[in-house]
Amino acid sequence: MFAAIVIAFGIAAAGNPSIAQAGTYAAIYGIAAMGLSLLMGNVNQISIGQAGFFGLGAYAVAYATTTWTLPGWLLWPLAAALGVAAAALAGIAVGFIALRFRGHFLAVATLAFGLICVGVFHEAAPLGGAIGIQDVPYPQFGALTISGYPAYWFAWAFAGLVALASINLLRGRTGRAFEAIRNDELAADVLGIPTRRYKILAFTYAGALAGLAGAIYASFLGIVVPDAVGVPLSITLLLMVVLGGNGSVSGALIGAAILGVIDISGHQFENSREVAYGVLVIVVVIVAPGGLFGLLRSRVARAPAAAAERAPVPARPRPPVPTGHNDAAPLAVTCVTKRFGGLVAVNDVSFTLERGTLTSLIGPNGAGKTTLFNAISGVGALTAGRIVIAGTDVTGLQPHRIAALGVGRTFQNARLFGEMTVLENVMAGSFRLERTTRGATERAHATLARLGLEHLAGTLARDLAFGDRRRVELARAIAADPWMLLVDEPAAGLNASERATLQRDLLALRDDGVTLLLIEHDMRLVMAISQRVLVLKFGALIADGPPDAVRDDPAVIAAYLGTSV
Amino acid sequence: MLQLLVAGLTVGSGYALVALGIHIVLRATRIINFAQGEFTIVGGLVALTFVQVLHVNTWIALIGATLVGFGLGLAFERFVLRPAARSGDWALTTATIGMVSILLYGHALVPGWGSLPQPLPAFSGDVSDALNLGGVSIQIQSMWVVALLLLALAVLYVFFDRTYYGKAIRAAANNPAGARLIGIDVTNARAVSVGLAIALAAYGGTIIGPITLVGGAGGVAIAIKGFVAAIVGGLESPAGCVLGGLLVGVIEKLIQGLPGVSYGLSDPIVYALLLLGLLIRPQGLIGTRGAVRD
Repeated sequence: MFAAIVIAFGIAAAGNPSIAQAGTYAAIYGIAAMGLSLLMGNVNQISIGQAGFFGLGAYAVAYATTTWTLPGWLLWPLAAALGVAAAALAGIAVGFIALRFRGHFLAVATLAFGLICVGVFHEAAPLGGAIGIQDVPYPQFGALTISGYPAYWFAWAFAGLVALASINLLRGRTGRAFEAIRNDELAADVLGIPTRRYKILAFTYAGALAGLAGAIYASFLGIVVPDAVGVPLSITLLLMVVLGGNGSVSGALIGAAILGVIDISGHQFENSREVAYGVLVIVVVIVAPGGLFGLLRSRVARAPAAAAERAPVPARPRPPVPTGHNDAAPLAVTCVTKRFGGLVAVNDVSFTLERGTLTSLIGPNGAGKTTLFNAISGVGALTAGRIVIAGTDVTGLQPHRIAALGVGRTFQNARLFGEMTVLENVMAGSFRLERTTRGATERAHATLARLGLEHLAGTLARDLAFGDRRRVELARAIAADPWMLLVDEPAAGLNASERATLQRDLLALRDDGVTLLLIEHDMRLVMAISQRVLVLKFGALIADGPPDAVRDDPAVIAAYLGTSV
Repeated sequence: MLQLLVAGLTVGSGYALVALGIHIVLRATRIINFAQGEFTIVGGLVALTFVQVLHVNTWIALIGATLVGFGLGLAFERFVLRPAARSGDWALTTATIGMVSILLYGHALVPGWGSLPQPLPAFSGDVSDALNLGGVSIQIQSMWVVALLLLALAVLYVFFDRTYYGKAIRAAANNPAGARLIGIDVTNARAVSVGLAIALAAYGGTIIGPITLVGGAGGVAIAIKGFVAAIVGGLESPAGCVLGGLLVGVIEKLIQGLPGVSYGLSDPIVYALLLLGLLIRPQGLIGTRGAVRD
């Protein structure tokens, strides 16, 4: 934030018109770059089509201000609102497309979006074709004409507001959701974070900001041509973000400021300037992948921030576990089948769980246990069958909707958010219950205390020892106080004392009334804590009963030892 | 109609080669080379330099440009891709976008190249020479383009499927760790892959040069159409890339032939159609659903 003020004042003090112009450009590009930085750095979605949104904003203002007859104080704000709205709508559309594409596909889809926009600007007669729209008036507020030096302040006022809005967004609930999605989209969804909605939100926000930047640009420059909002602009915006530091508001502004100045001072060196940009991008991604701001930050501010995080928060009494709202069975699986091509991973499985019981699901490797878990938690579509949770048919629902019913889950490979601290991981777990950061922090501390993990709160998840990863994941799953919990191989790789702790934790949950379904290979643990055992083999349920009966079942013995019955 | 089909197959051959190049780089490095189209443009310009400075015919220029392309590819891999790979996949993709900026604007600075497209001499006779087959006139150059595409495919097939070294490169791309264990130099295989891909770009830029001109700012459009061709056909399959390229070329020409569609609007329509097609069938025409995962 202070970066914005420093840049603004530094340049303003010079009072030199050409520097003021460079400063204005920096603010305009900075606005668009902040949006792209959020999209790329915070949500891990690439876009090489931001110029398309920028163009929508610019053309909307150019068209509206040259054709509408309205009083001055109303004209520009309305035109700009139109531009931002058009860009935001396009952002929603691109966001929906982005749900279908990942990685390279997304990069190309956004690039195609940018090219489509330029093509349309080029061909649309009302927009002036290749000549564009000339003589776009300056914004006029009473006697004040926004051009030259006032335009500088005008643009920076917007940039400052956008910076504040972005920081505010990232510090709050949305920021926590973004961070979880960036680290592990699937795990975030299973914790109850509506990942699709947040990804579309990110595209919409980035699109709207690029549109706003375009709106200011059009009236500042007085002319809009298709070539000015083409692929090179998209690349320049990308460069600003990469140069300044992906995923930080200050980084985007630093990148925009540097390129804004080069842009103006290097006007006579057309072509070689762009070549220099290209070289700069390559050098930055090789030498300083965190960008210039990343370099600054790693020098200065690491340690104090970490210390502040550790400030003790009084543990709250744990709220009672909700037990569901009706008398229906917590989980009823009916004739569920899941095929992957020719492979039948789960074959016509049916069972019903009873409330407050601990049931284990066992079977040889590849029997379809995890696939069944995925089916219950909404990961991937079923081939056939129905799943009802506490009376609600959840077949085909997205994972976060199932989580919202009060169902928690852990993963076989403990999908923690590696770049987040243990505390932040557990906070993400309570996303669905706690709207405020303070509430989420308190609940996370309480959950960690409950499992005796408080000492790990400030540790980055990727630095955790293996056994701790499992326990932190359990903490994350119970942070939202689920009344049903699916636990996938929690004991795998744990030593004897860790297993004893795990057994205690699971039994404590059961005694609190949580319905537990457990996948586990450790038979001693399974036999010790389960009230009921289900056995899967090649996707089919071959045994179901109390542990002792299942242990002596010849079909189960055959499944494990391979003898024919 | 048939006339448009022929024109479509001609430009489609160019897209097919770009798609193949993208396919090869993707297999070797797991990223999309956005600069593939720019390398196609630069390859055509290198051929032009051979013709203008060394006064050789287009055939020799084709060989020269392909060899220079191979060298450029090796340099690109060594000095851009390999160092950037340490910073992750996004960094790598961003680096190829940086390369687009360098080549797109840089080629205009080279003496003799400039920013305007220029004609490349025909492979035989005059550029406008044509055969008339049942009312459809086919440019001789178009036939050369298709023949040279087939030649390139044959050479690639023999190299990747019939030679030990080609198989080693495929192994290195499929499973780098496994390839290392059996003694394949994976780093070297990657470099050669990128070299081949860029050589292919230069070759493609040269063979379509007499018809479409060489140089200009169309590289990004070529790259994206090549990529779309690769997706349409199925990124995993070289044959799919070629079919996809031809298909994109034909669709493009058919759209341009529609009444009331101006030339400039055809590209946006092609992109929009293909985006739509991808949404409906993300696995491409050939290929299974599993291939969609990034």
